[in-house]
Amino acid sequence: MNRSWAFHFRILAVLAVLGIAAFPVYWMAVTSMTSSEELFAGSPRLLPDPAQIGTYARALVSTPLLTWLGNSLIIALGTTALSLLLAILPAYALSRMSFRGKLLLALGLFVTQMLPEAMLVVPLYDIFSRFALLDSLTGLILANTAFAVPVVTWILKGAIDGIPTEIEEAARIDGCSRVGIVLTIVLPLIAPTLAAVTVIAFFQGWNEYVFAQTFISDESLKVASVGLASFVGELSTPMDTVTAVGLTYTLPAVVFYLLVQRYIVAGMTSGGVKG
Amino acid sequence: MIKKLSGYRMVPVIGTAAIALSLTQVSAQEKTVITFSASHFAEVGRGDALREWVAKFNGSQDEIEVQPITIPFSSYASTIFTQMGGGAGPDLVRFDLPEFYAAANAGRLLPMDDVIDDAQYDFTSADAYMKVDDTRFGVVFDSANYALIYNADLLPGGEPPKDIDEFLEYAKAATGNDNYGFAYRATMAERGGVWYDVTNFVYGFGGRWSLPDGTPTFNSPEVVAGIEAYKQVYDAEVIPRGTDAATYRRMFWEGRVAMEIDNGGVATILTAQGAGKPIHASASPFPHPEQGMILAPVTINANTKAPDAAGTFLKWALEPEQQQELQQLLGAANVATVVERSDEELAANPWLAAYDAQTPNSVPALAQGLEEKSPEIQQIVVEQVLRVLQGGVSPQDAMDRVQEHVETRMLRR
Repeated sequence: MNRSWAFHFRILAVLAVLGIAAFPVYWMAVTSMTSSEELFAGSPRLLPDPAQIGTYARALVSTPLLTWLGNSLIIALGTTALSLLLAILPAYALSRMSFRGKLLLALGLFVTQMLPEAMLVVPLYDIFSRFALLDSLTGLILANTAFAVPVVTWILKGAIDGIPTEIEEAARIDGCSRVGIVLTIVLPLIAPTLAAVTVIAFFQGWNEYVFAQTFISDESLKVASVGLASFVGELSTPMDTVTAVGLTYTLPAVVFYLLVQRYIVAGMTSGGVKG
Repeated sequence: MIKKLSGYRMVPVIGTAAIALSLTQVSAQEKTVITFSASHFAEVGRGDALREWVAKFNGSQDEIEVQPITIPFSSYASTIFTQMGGGAGPDLVRFDLPEFYAAANAGRLLPMDDVIDDAQYDFTSADAYMKVDDTRFGVVFDSANYALIYNADLLPGGEPPKDIDEFLEYAKAATGNDNYGFAYRATMAERGGVWYDVTNFVYGFGGRWSLPDGTPTFNSPEVVAGIEAYKQVYDAEVIPRGTDAATYRRMFWEGRVAMEIDNGGVATILTAQGAGKPIHASASPFPHPEQGMILAPVTINANTKAPDAAGTFLKWALEPEQQQELQQLLGAANVATVVERSDEELAANPWLAAYDAQTPNSVPALAQGLEEKSPEIQQIVVEQVLRVLQGGVSPQDAMDRVQEHVETRMLRR
């Protein structure tokens, strides 16, 4: 009886936490489908009004939302690919090799994370201006990658640390090269961590605002985070449109997370079974 | 209908296409393209009208094209300053007055004395603020007065309050049943907006932030009286505390806020959202008629590669026909030159009269003589005012602190 009560209590607690986490998203959905009159009514509407679904259609027609989302996707995928490419070998070197300045390099990566974007935006703007990287998605991918690589490197280093060196030594005896070891042995073993850092790098590129706002002037290259902010006006803000666009903006990122999340869970589970 | 072309047949097609493409490129390259940033471009209604106004210029030109740039209002000034500091940025920039002075004093703007001949234009009185040390760095793009706008249904007899006591009485009476008597900003997230709201109270009680020679007067009795009134309204619990301006303006339009003191641009946007909810306006209910004013110059970025093209656009914008059109699309705002309103316009928007009547009493919301220090002054004043509202600090103590801070740290006296 006591066990059953505890079980139900745990279920309730989990549902409560889930509810708290999901409520803001639900509230955005309700707001996006509520008429302006009802939005400011004394008793707020708790369920979306299906008759207001047109807000989404209007947002799609009256704004270049799809272009913004497309640009964000290019930047997020570019940042993810480049970050992984640049972080894997340094992470392996930091984990497995001894060389002069290793500690300094590792700390140096940490230090770059202590500088806020707002502080770096002016010198970066100047550098990008000289290299004709302003008003280009490539420039934004490079800027975001610079911020993602240190984090990704450190996380991957931690994962590689956890792999027994004996496995690599056995491979080396069998004639496998260093790069071969990294590609064929290390990476498969840290697949869940790779999935996790993929999510981190993707969201770095997807959510970034300061660089995107400052480096891009061309309307056709605008990203969704900046486009969304442009609805918040000096004199008025169309709340239903903002929440409709905001919700649409979160969907691709959620889908990407769900796709990658399978590998994180699969990796964790397989590790547990093997013991 | 569609046939596959064999290899040799493709040659002339590709050749023709390449020639056509190269001709198009040559034609596009011949045009000097300049960019123009203004937070207006992102506004619902006015933004589209303003883009059309710019498109009209583009249609009249063979060699110049102006491209509007949209930058979110919340990060407008910081983005522009970052771009200017990095040696680039839009060619033409619409600034608010505080940022205008900061940019001019930092050498980020191109002097316009060779571009604009004062004798050719009938400028409004606000043009006096476009010069720094007798050098012109901008022309007024728009200026807007402040007035009290009200929902007649929520006020006794449908009439606006005539003095501050009546104002508080009406605001309290209108508050309840999810309605609010008044609305203003009171959060650091809207620092610029709080500055304008506080300035209206300070000016309305006869205060000024400084003397014309730049001597700060932040703790003068009149300024303190304005801050006390600001606090009195806050304590009366008649405002939707924490609500941002965009939201409470919408609440006003929905008939949930009885009164607010706002600039003509807001009244124009609210009117544009539907004629079914007419706007009413009157003078602010303060002892003195002076109120703040939105004054926004358009400037030429010192980094521009095409100063002549930027100058051509400004000269076009100052033509009487374009000024008339610009004033009409901006609504309750004035432009660089004197433009009389048409009878039709006044008949369609009776509230315009209250805003226009405020023109002689409108004063820029700046510390005179300390214009280039405006961003820092805004920060200090708003910080202290919020301590008065939310931290229990007395208005006198708070403004003494501002005075001391400005004198010792900013002016090093």
